[in-house]
Amino acid sequence: MHFLGSLAWFVVDWGRACALRRPPPGRVFEEAYAIGVKSLPVLLTISVFVGTNLALQGYNAFVPLGGQRLVGMFVALAGIRELAPIIAAAMVAAKAGTEMASQIAVMKTREQIDALEVMAVNPLWWLVTPRLYGIVLVMPALTVIAIFTMLLASYAVATLQLGLNGAVFLEFARNATSGADLLAGIVKGFIFGIVICFVSTYCGFASTKGPEGVGQATNAAVVISSVACVSINYLVSQVLYG
Amino acid sequence: MDDAPIVFDGVSKRFGALTVLDNVSLTFPKGKTTAVIGPSGTGKSVLLKHIVGLLHPDSGSVRVLGVDMARARPDAIYATRKRLGMLFQDGALFDSLCVGDNVAFPLMQHRRDLSQRQQRERVEEVLEMVELPGLYDRATSALSGGQRKRVGLARAIVNEPEIVLFDEPNSGLDPMTSDAIDALIHTMKARLGITFVVISHDIVGTINVADHIAMLYQGKLIAHGTTAEVVRMEHPILRRFLGRNLILPEADDPSPPHLPGVP
Repeated sequence: MHFLGSLAWFVVDWGRACALRRPPPGRVFEEAYAIGVKSLPVLLTISVFVGTNLALQGYNAFVPLGGQRLVGMFVALAGIRELAPIIAAAMVAAKAGTEMASQIAVMKTREQIDALEVMAVNPLWWLVTPRLYGIVLVMPALTVIAIFTMLLASYAVATLQLGLNGAVFLEFARNATSGADLLAGIVKGFIFGIVICFVSTYCGFASTKGPEGVGQATNAAVVISSVACVSINYLVSQVLYG
Repeated sequence: MDDAPIVFDGVSKRFGALTVLDNVSLTFPKGKTTAVIGPSGTGKSVLLKHIVGLLHPDSGSVRVLGVDMARARPDAIYATRKRLGMLFQDGALFDSLCVGDNVAFPLMQHRRDLSQRQQRERVEEVLEMVELPGLYDRATSALSGGQRKRVGLARAIVNEPEIVLFDEPNSGLDPMTSDAIDALIHTMKARLGITFVVISHDIVGTINVADHIAMLYQGKLIAHGTTAEVVRMEHPILRRFLGRNLILPEADDPSPPHLPGVP
């Protein structure tokens, strides 16, 4: 509860000082590029193998019941609505979120945050705002990339390895989902981006000084961001599909 | 002392059960260098953080350039900070920026009236002042400890502040580099004529650069005056801190006190 309260105050402080202020020039796209590029390789890799296994497990579940055509539907529903957004969030939390927390914690240890204050630059504006806008820009795109990578990998395994009919796979996938599901995935990515940014930067700012503090901040950022995203994912899914 | 740029009035600060500043009243004269000395853990850095508004007193007030740093609105505090410069212990340079961009940082934030070319010229001018010409594009990771301090000093003075604060300018430096930094502070003082506050437990450096000395001990201000006055005070803790071998000139000798072997 103490953590949630402190995090809430951190967000309020940011809102009061920075919400209506233009971000530091040039830094949003710098951050968006860094977050996107750093997270992309691991996101693609994980998405491919989650996609392959979705197809395998769908096949194993439905074939004994005579419903092998349902594999496409299963992959599309589970992948687009749930797994791709949450995997994108987990990978961004693991790569970009940990980097945010550790960079800010190191800056705190080296008095660079104090230096910003003394130079009359609000650290929340300089350090949080560009990361927030950057992650909000790239998270929906990363979620869409995760969705299509996962579907492609599932399709490849279903058709090339399991011998399913590709046209049937795609038809059932298409019929089970709609553009609204894709939009929901994008909205989830947007929300997860905000959560990861605030949790990770807060962990950096709240860290104790020294190497141990940096390690603890980094660890807390990935654990708390992931748990928060999974929990919020359930709530959003409950609202949308419950 | 009406025009004193920094005034501490009955400032007390506690962290839990520990009293770090105990009813400290102190003024820092305009255009002079005041050294705040004392053993480690005696409240010197806490005092410095009160000046820049990073810490607020539990009681009393800290006025900097006429602004109460604990009670003023955030925009007034930021406006006051634009008139200050500070050298941090290890420079507090941003690792992602080169030397020149570190020094230019305050100009890029607050001096939009200067073109990029003018900013660069100003940065090169202050890098020359701190005896680091031609290092604009060097990575901060390639700097020595002494160079980091100089770059930090260049950043502190680049926006022509009215007050410059030094947090342990000699810490972690070898004696020769330490002397070079002291000489630099001396030159800056003569050249810029601004108010310097130096936090230090380095006696040699302090006596070389300070016009005034204030000594803190266990959160209390136990001595304050011109350098010549303070080194002659008979307070037992002050005497222990200054050391027995400090050579005092005769009363009618205007030369400052010094340590044996130190020019």
